Amino acid sequence: MDDVRQRIIEASYVCVARRGVAKTTVEDMAREAGMSRATIYRAFPGGRDEVINATVAWATLDFFGKLYERIQGSGDFEEMMERGIMFAHQSIIEHDVLQRVMETEPDKLLPILTVESNRIREGIAAVLAPYLTERGLAPGVDPDDAADFLARMVLSYISAPGRWDLEDPEQVARLVRSELLAGVVVPARPR
Amino acid sequence: MSGAPGALRVLGDDKVVAFAPSADAVHPDSESPQRVRIIDGTLACLARHGTAKTTVDDIARQSGVSRATVYRAFPGGRDEILGAVVDTEVARLFSALGVCLGSAEELSQALVAGIVEASVRLRDHTALHFLVEHEPGIILGHLAFADSDRLLAIASRFTAPFLARWMAPAEAARVAEWAARIVLSYAVSPSPRTDLCDPAQATRLVHTFMLPGIEALQAAAAGPIDITPHRPGLGRSPN
Repeated sequence: MDDVRQRIIEASYVCVARRGVAKTTVEDMAREAGMSRATIYRAFPGGRDEVINATVAWATLDFFGKLYERIQGSGDFEEMMERGIMFAHQSIIEHDVLQRVMETEPDKLLPILTVESNRIREGIAAVLAPYLTERGLAPGVDPDDAADFLARMVLSYISAPGRWDLEDPEQVARLVRSELLAGVVVPARPR
Repeated sequence: MSGAPGALRVLGDDKVVAFAPSADAVHPDSESPQRVRIIDGTLACLARHGTAKTTVDDIARQSGVSRATVYRAFPGGRDEILGAVVDTEVARLFSALGVCLGSAEELSQALVAGIVEASVRLRDHTALHFLVEHEPGIILGHLAFADSDRLLAIASRFTAPFLARWMAPAEAARVAEWAARIVLSYAVSPSPRTDLCDPAQATRLVHTFMLPGIEALQAAAAGPIDITPHRPGLGRSPN
């Protein structure tokens, strides 16, 4: 991603953090980035909405980069899932900008997130698939079905924990070994 | 009476009226016939025109009553009606679920029947379908984060007692929530490979993923978590 686009995106993020999505104009972005409006429209012909979409995409990628770092050094697949879920949950609840936008203007963000979430799910499934195969799928389980199911569940828990306390390592371990992996992988030790 | 103002929320400066199902929305019989007629009339309007173009006049005409009657039944006007519509539809869904969950003879049958019923009703709900297509902001506003939590809690509260025929109440509550997650996920973003409206596919999902998970939940409740040979055990830090 070239430097100009990146600067605009980061400026846009600052504006949204300050005033929310609805009140962030191309003028605001230009001022924050120290550029002219014309420069913004040249880099993003779709205008304000295109910048907002790109900002969401960038923030999402940034998060996944950090997530990937976090799960490195995991001892086994279960631990990788536990670390990933706890980190993701923590990131979301600590994300001030996300929380504020979700609270004050969810209808601005959610259509973008929903389109993104299909792509995110497919991305997660693609990342998980080789680990699943390596870990060993339960007999008769289709690898693509398993990866898709797992990706769906992961996204579901981190966006809406429900009864699960995702800050408690024991609960996360129990969650991973039951609702996430129990039917998906071969048991961790023979019955 | 359902349809209390607590079911409503106004979002932001756009004066978009949104509505979240209230936790007590499980009493369809508490509605008077007049209110039911108006609610059904509203649903018909929503299915054709969505919320933006559904006025009290439209509702009155569709319901075959006067404006005055509408306002007598719903003094809060359009906002109150929309809240009541949500409450009623949620109640109807869980009422239908209660029938198939109650008549199931074993756990997997209950899970499959419940998942299929919920998925079919969500898919075939014409008003919901219109809103998803044309006014996604309203629907999506309630399908993520805190509102998802609320939906899951309602679903769990309602369906857990049926599942408790086969497991302890604490597990039943978790499994009920899990089933609701599954229905929600596949309803919001369908998968070409798994159609939960199809009993055969729902059965495959229940048998492949849910039954082993339920066993694991019950085993975990019964004693310490299984540890694998290559992990030293619990009590170590998550780092």
